Amino acid sequence: MDRRRSAEISSFAGPELRQEALQAGNASIDGVAGASYTSQSYAESLQAALDQVGL
Amino acid sequence: MSVAAAPRTPTRRVEHVWGTVISLDVRDPVDPRAVDDVFEWFGRVDDLLSTWRDDTEISRIGRGELDAGDASAEVREVLESCERLRRETGGAFDITVGASAAVAPRPGLAPVDPSGFVKGWAVERAAGILEAAGSTRFIINAGGDVVVRGHAADQRRWRLGIPHPWQRHKIALVVGVTDCAVATSGRAERGDHVIDPRTGLPARGLVSATIIGADLGHADALATAAVAYGSIDAGWLVGVAAMGITDERTVVSTPEFDAFRLD
Repeated sequence: MDRRRSAEISSFAGPELRQEALQAGNASIDGVAGASYTSQSYAESLQAALDQVGL
Repeated sequence: MSVAAAPRTPTRRVEHVWGTVISLDVRDPVDPRAVDDVFEWFGRVDDLLSTWRDDTEISRIGRGELDAGDASAEVREVLESCERLRRETGGAFDITVGASAAVAPRPGLAPVDPSGFVKGWAVERAAGILEAAGSTRFIINAGGDVVVRGHAADQRRWRLGIPHPWQRHKIALVVGVTDCAVATSGRAERGDHVIDPRTGLPARGLVSATIIGADLGHADALATAAVAYGSIDAGWLVGVAAMGITDERTVVSTPEFDAFRLD
């Protein structure tokens, strides 16, 4: 396989991706996904605030 | 004769497990014993699979004291699933990376370390326990890895916020989900704990990766693999709902992920 063909294949290998700037906002949510908080830092996390409202 | 405990609505429980916190929120009536079973199961998972304790089967396997074939059914299932995931991701998900001579030893990185799969797998099983008890509407959140069933309210999907990595009380984006799993792996909180198997060095490129899918164990492993690989531009993520937050402070996402976005 020549080099050009190999480059074409790799450019089609991954998914179609969209890129945008990271935002920071507020939103009404039921849960927090993706905060891999430790046991220690949980108390200060958004999920702790939600759990507090629920209890 | 057993006495049935009265179902309660809603049920919330928060417990410290596996060095993180698990929040359970069941919004239809459920037998409290099913909730007890869930937390009992989490305890069993810790007893068998914690890499932070010397006495677990996974630690004994890592030290060569226990043959994987002689391990309990759950541990064998985990190891077999992890081997399938290693092949699926072309080696980006590799539970034996800690055993490599190229990798600097450090606490918590075990020679056989399926942590990137176990939490998701265990929470998926916990969802099965609640479903077997008749619950159809709940959310389980294990340190940011989430399983949801049914809707949060009438016709309204569960709204999950993904926090900004550097402003932890701000939300970077919001997804709306029902009957699925949302897993995130990252380097944000516990330091550079993901190793790129190709180099043996701490992974670079992605601060975190989030995968939405049908199974939390599978999603968890793909998220770990993406962070290790340093990008979501990988053949094994074609057709997967995947999102990454990059070192350059951008959000990169697949069309399947964008379909869940509410913001």
